[in-house]
Amino acid sequence: MIRELTITAEQIDEAGLSRSRKLSKGMGAVIYFLGVVRGTEEGNAIEAIEYEAFQRMAEHQFNLLFDEMEKRWPIESVRLVHRVGTVKVNEPSLWVEVVAPHRGEAFASCQWLIDEMKRVVPIWKKPV
Amino acid sequence: MSVTVSFYSYFKELTGCDRTTESLPEGSTLNDLYQKLSVRFPKLAAMQKSTLMAVGVEYRERGYILKEGDEVSLFPPVQGG
Repeated sequence: MIRELTITAEQIDEAGLSRSRKLSKGMGAVIYFLGVVRGTEEGNAIEAIEYEAFQRMAEHQFNLLFDEMEKRWPIESVRLVHRVGTVKVNEPSLWVEVVAPHRGEAFASCQWLIDEMKRVVPIWKKPV
Repeated sequence: MSVTVSFYSYFKELTGCDRTTESLPEGSTLNDLYQKLSVRFPKLAAMQKSTLMAVGVEYRERGYILKEGDEVSLFPPVQGG
């Protein structure tokens, strides 16, 4: 399984990520998900969210999740970009893509990855 | 023995620092370290149930026996995405 992980303070370049997509001929499903900063946090209006990562551990924990995905589903590739620093309302903080032969495994594994990320990957947010 | 401790997220505000060192007797556990830190940083004591602990880049339970030079991290529940 091909894996690409980027934790960055730069804006997420959706168009560039789409252009760099690679698929082999057996692949029938590409799922990608954008997590976007909402304008409210616990009922209060906010301007942005500041993300902080324990980068070395976050990379390690993401790779453990990718290892588990590889065991559970026949995935060709996973690419994930997570922002750190200040992300304004309506801007994406997370971009995840899974390429697989069929939509079932692509949807299931993408959902699983995001759920697990929120449980174990050391990234925190602070509304500003 | 001596270990380093890093704090993340609002734990930095609770302790007033992002990194410290602590000396402990040989055979001490992560829980022993936490109790000692709770005395130094009383605001940390209230977070005991929700605190996540790591040594290096791995999560560890409170019974983990520390070694000289371990890099410990303490932080609140994670919130990525």
